[in-house]
Amino acid sequence: MIYADKNTGVIVCGATGNQGSFHIDRMNQYARSIGGRGVVAGVTPGKGGQEVHGVPVYNSILEAAEAQNATAAVLFVPGSSAGDSIMEAADAGLDLVVTITEHIPVHDVMQAVTYAQMRDCTVIGPNCPGLFSPGEISMGIMPAHLATRGPVGVISRSGTLTYEVVHELTRAGIGQSSIIGIGGDPIIGQTFADALERFAEDPLTKAVVILGELGGNLEEEGARSAELPVVAFIAGTTAPAEKRMGHAGAIVTGGEGDANAKIARLRDLGVPVADRLSEIPAMIRGGNLNVNH
Amino acid sequence: MKLKEYEAKDILQKAGIPIPRGVLVKKGSDFLVSPDIKEAAIKAQVEVAGRGKAGGILMADHASIRDTTEKLFQTTIKGLPVEEILIEEKLQIQHEYYLSITIDRSQKAPVILFTTEGGVDIEEVAQKNPAAIRKATVYPLLSKVPGYTLRYLLNGAPKEIGAIIQKLYTVFMSQDALLAEINPLVMTPDGLFAADAKLILDDNALARHGIQENRDLSERERKAAAHGFSFVELNGNIGVIGNGAGLTMATVDLINRMGGRPANFLDVGGGADRVRVAHAVRLLGSMPDVTVIIVNLLGGITRCDEVAAGIIEAGVSQQIIVRLAGTNEAEGKALLSSKGYRMLDTMEEAVTAAVEAAS
Repeated sequence: MIYADKNTGVIVCGATGNQGSFHIDRMNQYARSIGGRGVVAGVTPGKGGQEVHGVPVYNSILEAAEAQNATAAVLFVPGSSAGDSIMEAADAGLDLVVTITEHIPVHDVMQAVTYAQMRDCTVIGPNCPGLFSPGEISMGIMPAHLATRGPVGVISRSGTLTYEVVHELTRAGIGQSSIIGIGGDPIIGQTFADALERFAEDPLTKAVVILGELGGNLEEEGARSAELPVVAFIAGTTAPAEKRMGHAGAIVTGGEGDANAKIARLRDLGVPVADRLSEIPAMIRGGNLNVNH
Repeated sequence: MKLKEYEAKDILQKAGIPIPRGVLVKKGSDFLVSPDIKEAAIKAQVEVAGRGKAGGILMADHASIRDTTEKLFQTTIKGLPVEEILIEEKLQIQHEYYLSITIDRSQKAPVILFTTEGGVDIEEVAQKNPAAIRKATVYPLLSKVPGYTLRYLLNGAPKEIGAIIQKLYTVFMSQDALLAEINPLVMTPDGLFAADAKLILDDNALARHGIQENRDLSERERKAAAHGFSFVELNGNIGVIGNGAGLTMATVDLINRMGGRPANFLDVGGGADRVRVAHAVRLLGSMPDVTVIIVNLLGGITRCDEVAAGIIEAGVSQQIIVRLAGTNEAEGKALLSSKGYRMLDTMEEAVTAAVEAAS
């Protein structure tokens, strides 16, 4: 597993909102089922002193971190203030911020991610389902019942596409070490390359599935530096140019980021790319990766 | 959202970047042209690539400005009607430069492009003479472009351009721009002018700049956005509803791969309830070419029973093929099968069935 484990104390920002409160409950149900610490504090400015599903709420991230010995945060705050929350978390000395929020202005993300890096704080997201390591921790919104512990890492720019693949892997008897949603925005914190570097240091992980989509070139960049065997899938091979398919990052502009060109470049790098999601488990097995332990 | 040329120039001028003297004319309204404008560029304010080549820019001497403007109002540029025209004094061009600022995704930073070979399509320059384009990123927490970066970009070009770069950078950062471009940036005997300008603002930051409505969306796309989903029209006969951009895109791809023709991309978003699902199904039901609708939903926070209720509530005439997995899956399936809907367990089975039904 990478980024966080059972012993990580998590803060949820936007704790008193619908999403925040719903997911505090779900994350803690999972934490209880595996004996992890889970969400130990919530933050909503002006609502300090309240409780959400038994979790104490504080006015600031710094207060929450100090009171509950927390080192990571999950953000469910609105897009207009999410950049601010990332910087607040970095300033409070947290190691990890998982940003679920979508529709954050790109300039905010660009500055917040740079600021966090300066303070040695790792940012996952934004616009992502978060981080899930079966048997260790849930930091985000991924449905726990689809995953099972095992040797394959998953890194994805998309939410439900990730669930689909995790579901396929689990059905094929292939478990997962960590599942990382890196997010669908033009600028994100952790990239494929960053997450692959972490996986390379994880003794549990033997292979990694990368789920990309049209737009940018982060998939190729990741594949180029990967130390572990990688299998890829790229969505958007038939999407029209200059039209945005939901994710702000999923757009082809001036020919850059075309999904088919991306697939060709990955294959040139020796990365097997699945034409269909259902082919992924067989490709993992076909790679002789000894994933059945 | 793309701004029109005159809107972009207005912002540049306020930031201290000189623009040509000119007047904006709306269709059907009268206008005056200053008598000392000897020659003018008559420019249709339409957002199309290659506007000049498509006939959207005409030149006229003082006497023929009025006629030329009227003539341009009567045309369409790449199918778009001309509603507004910018009449600008023709500049005495000594040299044309290209300057733009955009976001470099992998560097996570603003990137400035500059070349002394302006006035033409930048992609052409990039292909024919890539060495002529100077490119530099700026650390995003800086409020100014550092001097050494300006010197690198200019590479001996006139120093005054450095001040223009600085001002355009301020515009880029303060307007939440995804692209700020001046092409050409023209050197004249009276100094530098932004002869053409392009600004694309971040859709997620429009409210911050007092813009209520994104003009780039079609009527149907705007309606879809109001209901909380993202929607793109394609031109086939299989309606597609999914949750999550990636899964929905993968569904569209698989339909194409299996020889079918998707009519659209519609991502209902996370946690869709019955009302939202019903709206989505009705939207596709109202598209005349759609003969089959595939609903491919993988519930994390989306409840399958809510989805099922929404599908039934929509009551459209087209055949609907459903693939549902996740929270309250059994309840959702029971509800749909009691009404005779066709349900399949995997995405591939559902897509196969939809492609067969539509052919």
